[in-house]
Amino acid sequence: MMDLTQRQWLKHAVTHIFEGFEDMRWKKSGSMKIALFILFMFFFAEIAHERLYGFQFYAVYDRTFNIIPYFIKTIVLFMAWTVGNWSVCTILDGEGTMKNIFIYSAYALVPYISQMYINTILSHFLVRDEYIFMQAVEIIGTLWTAILIFSAVKSVHQYTILKTFSALFLTVVSMFIMLALLVLFMALIQQIYIFISTVYMEIVYRIRA
Amino acid sequence: MKLKLKNVFILIFCILILLSNINLLSLNAEPYISYNYDRWGDAVPSQAGYIVKRTVSGNDIGADSFDEPSDIFFDGDKFYVADTGNNRIVSIDSSLENVSEVYDSFKMSDGSLTTLEKPEGVFVSDDIIYIADTQNSRILIVNRDSEVISEITKPDDEIYDNNKTFLPKRVIADKAGNIYSVIENITTGCAMFSPEGKFKGFYGSNRVEPTFKVIRNHFMNIFMSDKKKERRTRTVPTGITGFDIKGDFIFTCTESSDVSADRVKKLNPSGKNIFADKDVVFGDYKPKYDTSYYNIHDSTICDIDISDSGNINCLDFSTGHIFQYDEECRLLFIVGTLAGQAGGFEKPSAVESAGENIYVLDSRKNNITVFTETSFGKTVHKAVELYNTGYYEEALDLWYEVLRRDGNYTYAYNGTSFALLRKGDYKNSMKYAKMAGNSELYNKAFEEYRSVFLKENSGKIFIAVTAGIVVTVLRKIRKRRKRRS
Repeated sequence: MMDLTQRQWLKHAVTHIFEGFEDMRWKKSGSMKIALFILFMFFFAEIAHERLYGFQFYAVYDRTFNIIPYFIKTIVLFMAWTVGNWSVCTILDGEGTMKNIFIYSAYALVPYISQMYINTILSHFLVRDEYIFMQAVEIIGTLWTAILIFSAVKSVHQYTILKTFSALFLTVVSMFIMLALLVLFMALIQQIYIFISTVYMEIVYRIRA
Repeated sequence: MKLKLKNVFILIFCILILLSNINLLSLNAEPYISYNYDRWGDAVPSQAGYIVKRTVSGNDIGADSFDEPSDIFFDGDKFYVADTGNNRIVSIDSSLENVSEVYDSFKMSDGSLTTLEKPEGVFVSDDIIYIADTQNSRILIVNRDSEVISEITKPDDEIYDNNKTFLPKRVIADKAGNIYSVIENITTGCAMFSPEGKFKGFYGSNRVEPTFKVIRNHFMNIFMSDKKKERRTRTVPTGITGFDIKGDFIFTCTESSDVSADRVKKLNPSGKNIFADKDVVFGDYKPKYDTSYYNIHDSTICDIDISDSGNINCLDFSTGHIFQYDEECRLLFIVGTLAGQAGGFEKPSAVESAGENIYVLDSRKNNITVFTETSFGKTVHKAVELYNTGYYEEALDLWYEVLRRDGNYTYAYNGTSFALLRKGDYKNSMKYAKMAGNSELYNKAFEEYRSVFLKENSGKIFIAVTAGIVVTVLRKIRKRRKRRS
């Protein structure tokens, strides 16, 4: 039973929102390649959603383009999620490895990413009065992904429902902690950089004098 | 030989072109580069809508030189300058060539003479001159023969705080003869008087903008004793600093630079601001950094004038710009700067317009600068007038002309797009709406374009959709058969 190819597994996991990930775990399936591809598509979806949207909905400031914010909004955020979830669930007796968390979470993102592409295309065919259709697509895609994320975390760590909720909450907290540490680290690096550059300038001046 | 002669001719021709170009360059006498805002709100160089024509000082017109003049008014026939330092009102003919009368002393009804003391405002309507006689704390209403008709002094009214001084700075009168006056240090609006000079209350006060500081102070006040409250700065609205009247509407402006609310208002007779829900920043979008003086200039609009065609000229005191808006508050032109040359100001104090000219009074240079419309400005004004009165299609050719001369002029793209939308050329309307950055207009044009497209191609679309459905159904059936077999 359940002799599916990797692509069929993806379809199975996304369409069977409660059982899909359990089945996947049971069969020890899930492909890193597909997960990376999804993450890549997520990155492009974010850019397309921002830059290629129909002009009737909003006029984007297209004089400059900076790729860093999109990179942070998608790939960095997703990596932070993976690391955060892994570090929290290792303490909370979770069974998932970092690799599995990465794959399962990426699979769970599929509806959200599709929603972004669908809306970007729809925005070129609809007018403002019909925005409600796009809103419906957005809400459905987002809710679907939310449920999938929940079910992914639940099955990858073999948690109960209550424990999953607390794990999700703690993951978000850990992401914030990571952010705070990052800011602290940056500030420290800056201080060191200033210190070194001042010493260097001092030496240069003294040599010249 | 023939070839050589040709070369010589070409050389002469080139030199002539060069020389004529140099001449053209030297014609551009303004000490600034005229600019406008593009669709993203960034400043870009643009064609000048006005150029400086000349400057007029007191000596040029045959009166003694002005001393810190602070107000200028044109009644359709003559100019009136409130020459504050010389305690007089100077009236000049409409071409600003000769002085026609100097008013400095007036006959009271009992026969005694009275003089002015630092008058800062003047207004004329129906041969009656209204003078804000500031340091005498009164508004004088006189006729052209220098006879005082009436005099308004500090109102003895419970609405008017008795501890406050009465220093009228600007004065206007409406058609019914009601008199409005801007009074220094009064933040509750301008004082309104009946034609007989009776105080009727305040009119058109500004709102307090809910900045962070104001909100914080409000919450802090809850926990404070009354004694402590007294010592704190109070939140009061900004006072009105200049105004103008056009028809039934009074336009006011406030000099304060740190608020954006109520910088420019258009008040209807009941005192309601018509521009209140307009999302416009009057003045520069971003404060300007002055590299020669190392300071930042926020726009402080100190005087306002409405031209005959309804355009709003706002004089910015801190940057020396005159921002001209049309009656719907769309920015048309930015004129002037702070400079010593003609076309620049040192301390601009009042702005007035007549026909195609804008007049700016400078109270440190003690002169009047006359700006006149360029042919580009004329085209824009004509197009805007047609556009605002509803003749969108008639304005189309003018908009094309404007765009041919200045491709950065955003307003023209809007106008073109709207005209094309009215004409039914939806595709080009979409194109121009996109260039104007107006997504709402684009939405309208796109809706029409789409419905036309669907109507024309409904047959093809229907066929394509049915064909698609048939093909998929057939494929599914074939798949099922394969599985069974």
